[in-house]
Amino acid sequence: METIIKNRIKQIKNGDQNAFAEIVEFYKDKVFQLCYRMLGNRHEAEDIAQEAFIRAYVNIHSYDMNKKFSTWLYRIATNLSIDRIRKKKPDYYLDAEIAGSEGLTMYSQVAADVALPEDELESMELQELIQAEILKLPEKYRSVIVLKYIEEFSLKEIGEILDLPVGTVKTRIHRGREALRHQLRHV
Amino acid sequence: MNCSEDSMIQLIHNYLDEEISEEEEKMLREHLQACDSCNRHFHELKKTIALVQSTSHISAPSDFTMKVMQNLPKEKKSVSFKR
Repeated sequence: METIIKNRIKQIKNGDQNAFAEIVEFYKDKVFQLCYRMLGNRHEAEDIAQEAFIRAYVNIHSYDMNKKFSTWLYRIATNLSIDRIRKKKPDYYLDAEIAGSEGLTMYSQVAADVALPEDELESMELQELIQAEILKLPEKYRSVIVLKYIEEFSLKEIGEILDLPVGTVKTRIHRGREALRHQLRHV
Repeated sequence: MNCSEDSMIQLIHNYLDEEISEEEEKMLREHLQACDSCNRHFHELKKTIALVQSTSHISAPSDFTMKVMQNLPKEKKSVSFKR
Protein backbone atom coordinates (compact mmCIF):
# COMPACT_ATOMS: atom_id res chain seq x y z
CA MET A 1 0.00 0.00 0.00
CA GLU A 2 2.77 2.37 0.98
CA THR A 3 4.21 1.92 -2.57
CA ILE A 4 0.95 2.99 -4.23
CA ILE A 5 0.75 5.98 -1.90
CA LYS A 6 4.32 6.98 -2.75
CA ASN A 7 3.60 6.76 -6.47
CA ARG A 8 0.61 9.03 -6.01
CA ILE A 9 2.77 11.49 -4.08
CA LYS A 10 5.27 11.59 -6.94
CA GLN A 11 2.39 12.41 -9.30
CA ILE A 12 1.19 15.16 -6.96
CA LYS A 13 4.69 16.61 -6.74
CA ASN A 14 4.70 16.68 -10.53
CA GLY A 15 1.56 18.79 -10.48
CA ASP A 16 -1.18 16.14 -10.85
CA GLN A 17 -3.77 17.42 -8.40
CA ASN A 18 -6.23 14.58 -9.06
CA ALA A 19 -3.80 12.01 -7.69
CA PHE A 20 -4.44 13.59 -4.29
CA ALA A 21 -8.07 12.41 -4.28
CA GLU A 22 -6.92 8.82 -3.88
CA ILE A 23 -4.78 9.77 -0.89
CA VAL A 24 -7.71 11.54 0.76
CA GLU A 25 -10.02 8.61 0.06
CA PHE A 26 -7.56 6.20 1.62
CA TYR A 27 -6.85 8.13 4.84
CA LYS A 28 -10.05 10.14 5.40
CA ASP A 29 -11.73 7.84 7.94
CA LYS A 30 -8.66 7.44 10.12
CA VAL A 31 -7.86 11.15 10.09
CA PHE A 32 -11.48 12.08 10.77
CA GLN A 33 -11.65 9.58 13.61
CA LEU A 34 -8.49 11.00 15.18
CA CYS A 35 -9.87 14.54 15.03
CA TYR A 36 -13.25 13.42 16.37
CA ARG A 37 -11.75 11.63 19.36
CA MET A 38 -9.55 14.63 20.10
CA LEU A 39 -12.30 17.24 19.72
CA GLY A 40 -15.51 15.37 20.50
CA ASN A 41 -17.57 17.17 17.89
CA ARG A 42 -18.28 16.04 14.33
CA HIS A 43 -18.41 19.51 12.81
CA GLU A 44 -15.10 20.58 14.29
CA ALA A 45 -13.58 17.21 13.46
CA GLU A 46 -14.58 17.58 9.82
CA ASP A 47 -13.24 21.12 9.74
CA ILE A 48 -9.85 20.12 11.16
CA ALA A 49 -9.57 16.92 9.11
CA GLN A 50 -10.24 18.92 5.92
CA GLU A 51 -7.62 21.44 6.96
CA ALA A 52 -5.11 18.66 7.63
CA PHE A 53 -5.44 17.29 4.08
CA ILE A 54 -5.21 20.74 2.54
CA ARG A 55 -2.04 21.49 4.52
CA ALA A 56 -0.58 18.14 3.50
CA TYR A 57 -1.24 19.02 -0.15
CA VAL A 58 0.17 22.53 0.07
CA ASN A 59 3.28 21.31 1.90
CA ILE A 60 3.78 18.07 -0.02
CA HIS A 61 7.26 19.19 -1.08
CA SER A 62 8.41 19.18 2.52
CA TYR A 63 7.35 15.54 2.94
CA ASP A 64 10.40 13.26 3.09
CA MET A 65 9.72 10.28 0.79
CA ASN A 66 11.96 8.06 2.93
CA LYS A 67 9.55 8.30 5.83
CA LYS A 68 6.09 6.87 6.27
CA PHE A 69 3.48 9.16 4.73
CA SER A 70 0.83 8.23 7.30
CA THR A 71 3.06 9.35 10.18
CA TRP A 72 3.58 12.73 8.51
CA LEU A 73 -0.14 13.15 7.80
CA TYR A 74 -1.12 12.19 11.35
CA ARG A 75 1.36 14.64 12.72
CA ILE A 76 -0.34 17.47 10.83
CA ALA A 77 -3.79 16.32 11.96
CA THR A 78 -2.73 15.89 15.60
CA ASN A 79 -1.06 19.30 15.75
CA LEU A 80 -4.09 21.00 14.21
CA SER A 81 -6.39 19.26 16.70
CA ILE A 82 -4.23 20.32 19.63
CA ASP A 83 -4.14 23.91 18.33
CA ARG A 84 -7.93 23.88 18.12
CA ILE A 85 -8.27 22.57 21.67
CA ARG A 86 -5.98 25.34 22.92
CA LYS A 87 -7.90 28.02 21.07
CA LYS A 88 -11.23 26.95 22.49
CA LYS A 89 -12.64 29.43 24.90
CA PRO A 90 -12.09 28.27 28.46
CA ASP A 91 -15.80 28.57 29.24
CA TYR A 92 -16.75 26.32 26.36
CA TYR A 93 -17.22 22.78 27.53
CA LEU A 94 -19.22 20.05 25.91
CA ASP A 95 -20.85 19.04 29.16
CA ALA A 96 -21.77 22.58 30.13
CA GLU A 97 -25.46 23.32 29.99
CA ILE A 98 -26.59 25.41 27.09
CA ALA A 99 -28.15 28.67 28.31
CA GLY A 100 -31.92 28.52 28.52
CA SER A 101 -32.17 24.80 27.82
CA GLU A 102 -32.70 22.98 31.10
CA GLY A 103 -30.50 19.93 31.36
CA LEU A 104 -29.60 20.01 27.70
CA THR A 105 -25.89 19.69 27.09
CA MET A 106 -23.80 19.87 23.97
CA TYR A 107 -23.53 16.09 24.13
CA SER A 108 -27.23 15.63 23.63
CA GLN A 109 -27.08 18.25 20.88
CA VAL A 110 -24.34 16.38 19.07
CA ALA A 111 -26.05 13.04 19.60
CA ALA A 112 -29.36 14.44 18.35
CA ASP A 113 -27.75 15.05 14.96
CA VAL A 114 -27.69 11.34 14.33
CA ALA A 115 -30.89 9.33 14.13
CA LEU A 116 -30.35 5.91 15.67
CA PRO A 117 -32.45 2.76 15.91
CA GLU A 118 -33.57 2.16 19.50
CA ASP A 119 -31.65 -1.05 19.95
CA GLU A 120 -28.45 0.88 19.38
CA LEU A 121 -29.27 3.42 22.05
CA GLU A 122 -28.04 1.43 24.99
CA SER A 123 -24.60 0.84 23.54
CA MET A 124 -24.61 4.41 22.26
CA GLU A 125 -24.88 5.72 25.79
CA LEU A 126 -21.83 3.76 26.82
CA GLN A 127 -19.95 4.99 23.74
CA GLU A 128 -20.81 8.58 24.61
CA LEU A 129 -19.73 8.08 28.17
CA ILE A 130 -16.37 6.69 27.09
CA GLN A 131 -15.89 9.53 24.61
CA ALA A 132 -16.76 12.04 27.33
CA GLU A 133 -14.13 10.53 29.61
CA ILE A 134 -11.53 10.64 26.83
CA LEU A 135 -12.33 14.33 26.36
CA LYS A 136 -11.73 15.00 30.05
CA LEU A 137 -8.10 13.97 29.67
CA PRO A 138 -5.57 16.79 29.27
CA GLU A 139 -4.56 16.97 25.59
CA LYS A 140 -1.12 15.46 26.12
CA TYR A 141 -2.64 12.29 27.54
CA ARG A 142 -5.62 12.33 25.19
CA SER A 143 -3.47 12.32 22.05
CA VAL A 144 -1.37 9.32 23.10
CA ILE A 145 -4.39 7.30 24.26
CA VAL A 146 -6.25 7.97 21.00
CA LEU A 147 -3.21 7.16 18.87
CA LYS A 148 -2.50 3.98 20.81
CA TYR A 149 -5.92 2.48 21.45
CA ILE A 150 -8.16 3.87 18.73
CA GLU A 151 -5.71 4.31 15.87
CA GLU A 152 -3.50 1.42 17.03
CA PHE A 153 -0.09 2.95 16.44
CA SER A 154 3.00 1.50 18.09
CA LEU A 155 4.81 3.47 20.82
CA LYS A 156 7.60 4.21 18.34
CA GLU A 157 5.21 5.54 15.70
CA ILE A 158 3.43 7.68 18.31
CA GLY A 159 6.82 9.12 19.22
CA GLU A 160 7.39 10.01 15.56
CA ILE A 161 3.94 11.54 15.14
CA LEU A 162 4.20 13.66 18.28
CA ASP A 163 7.94 14.28 17.99
CA LEU A 164 8.54 12.91 21.46
CA PRO A 165 11.03 10.38 22.84
CA VAL A 166 9.47 6.92 23.30
CA GLY A 167 10.10 7.18 27.05
CA THR A 168 7.87 10.26 27.24
CA VAL A 169 5.19 8.53 25.16
CA LYS A 170 5.24 5.62 27.63
CA THR A 171 4.94 7.88 30.66
CA ARG A 172 2.01 9.71 29.11
CA ILE A 173 0.26 6.49 28.18
CA HIS A 174 0.70 5.19 31.74
CA ARG A 175 -0.75 8.39 33.21
CA GLY A 176 -3.54 8.50 30.64
CA ARG A 177 -4.48 4.90 31.42
CA GLU A 178 -4.48 5.59 35.15
CA ALA A 179 -6.66 8.69 34.73
CA LEU A 180 -9.14 6.75 32.59
CA ARG A 181 -9.11 3.87 35.05
CA HIS A 182 -10.27 6.21 37.78
CA GLN A 183 -12.98 7.62 35.55
CA LEU A 184 -14.23 4.33 34.09
CA ARG A 185 -13.82 1.78 36.86
CA HIS A 186 -17.45 1.97 37.97
CA VAL A 187 -18.84 1.56 34.46
CA MET B 1 -0.03 -4.95 52.35
CA ASN B 2 3.36 -6.53 52.01
CA CYS B 3 4.07 -5.43 48.45
CA SER B 4 5.83 -2.32 47.23
CA GLU B 5 2.79 -1.34 45.23
CA ASP B 6 4.36 1.32 43.03
CA SER B 7 6.88 -1.04 41.52
CA MET B 8 4.14 -3.59 40.85
CA ILE B 9 1.96 -0.95 39.16
CA GLN B 10 4.94 -0.04 36.99
CA LEU B 11 5.29 -3.72 36.06
CA ILE B 12 1.59 -3.84 35.18
CA HIS B 13 2.07 -0.92 32.79
CA ASN B 14 5.16 -2.52 31.26
CA TYR B 15 3.11 -5.66 30.78
CA LEU B 16 0.33 -3.69 29.05
CA ASP B 17 2.93 -2.12 26.75
CA GLU B 18 4.36 -5.60 26.06
CA GLU B 19 7.67 -4.41 27.38
CA ILE B 20 8.30 -6.89 30.15
CA SER B 21 10.87 -9.64 30.54
CA GLU B 22 9.80 -13.24 31.15
CA GLU B 23 11.23 -13.06 34.62
CA GLU B 24 9.31 -9.90 35.48
CA GLU B 25 6.12 -11.31 34.04
CA LYS B 26 6.44 -14.41 36.20
CA MET B 27 7.00 -12.23 39.24
CA LEU B 28 3.98 -10.09 38.36
CA ARG B 29 1.71 -13.13 37.87
CA GLU B 30 2.70 -14.53 41.24
CA HIS B 31 2.13 -11.21 42.89
CA LEU B 32 -1.31 -10.71 41.31
CA GLN B 33 -2.43 -14.07 42.66
CA ALA B 34 -1.39 -13.08 46.15
CA CYS B 35 -2.39 -9.41 46.25
CA ASP B 36 -6.06 -8.45 45.85
CA SER B 37 -5.36 -4.75 45.57
CA CYS B 38 -2.89 -5.08 42.66
CA ASN B 39 -5.08 -7.71 41.05
CA ARG B 40 -8.06 -5.32 41.09
CA HIS B 41 -5.91 -2.52 39.74
CA PHE B 42 -4.72 -4.75 36.90
CA HIS B 43 -8.26 -5.76 35.94
CA GLU B 44 -9.52 -2.19 36.07
CA LEU B 45 -6.78 -1.17 33.65
CA LYS B 46 -7.60 -4.07 31.33
CA LYS B 47 -11.27 -3.10 31.40
CA THR B 48 -10.44 0.55 30.71
CA ILE B 49 -8.45 -0.41 27.62
CA ALA B 50 -11.24 -2.69 26.39
CA LEU B 51 -13.77 0.13 26.83
CA VAL B 52 -11.64 2.64 24.95
CA GLN B 53 -11.06 0.14 22.15
CA SER B 54 -14.78 -0.60 21.97
CA THR B 55 -15.67 2.92 20.83
CA SER B 56 -17.04 2.07 17.44
CA HIS B 57 -15.09 3.35 14.52
CA ILE B 58 -16.71 6.30 12.87
CA SER B 59 -16.42 7.29 9.22
CA ALA B 60 -15.83 10.62 7.54
CA PRO B 61 -18.87 12.24 5.88
CA SER B 62 -19.55 10.89 2.37
CA ASP B 63 -18.73 14.18 0.63
CA PHE B 64 -15.44 14.55 2.51
CA THR B 65 -13.04 13.88 -0.39
CA MET B 66 -15.02 16.07 -2.77
CA LYS B 67 -14.88 18.97 -0.32
CA VAL B 68 -11.12 18.64 0.16
CA MET B 69 -10.55 18.56 -3.60
CA GLN B 70 -12.74 21.62 -4.11
CA ASN B 71 -10.80 23.54 -1.50
CA LEU B 72 -7.30 22.82 -2.77
CA PRO B 73 -5.47 25.90 -4.02
CA LYS B 74 -5.82 26.12 -7.81
CA GLU B 75 -2.16 26.73 -8.41
CA LYS B 76 0.66 25.32 -6.40
CA LYS B 77 1.96 27.86 -3.97
CA SER B 78 4.79 25.66 -2.79
CA VAL B 79 7.13 26.95 -5.51
CA SER B 80 7.32 30.30 -3.77
CA PHE B 81 8.30 28.60 -0.50
CA LYS B 82 11.41 27.13 -2.04
CA ARG B 83 14.78 28.82 -1.66
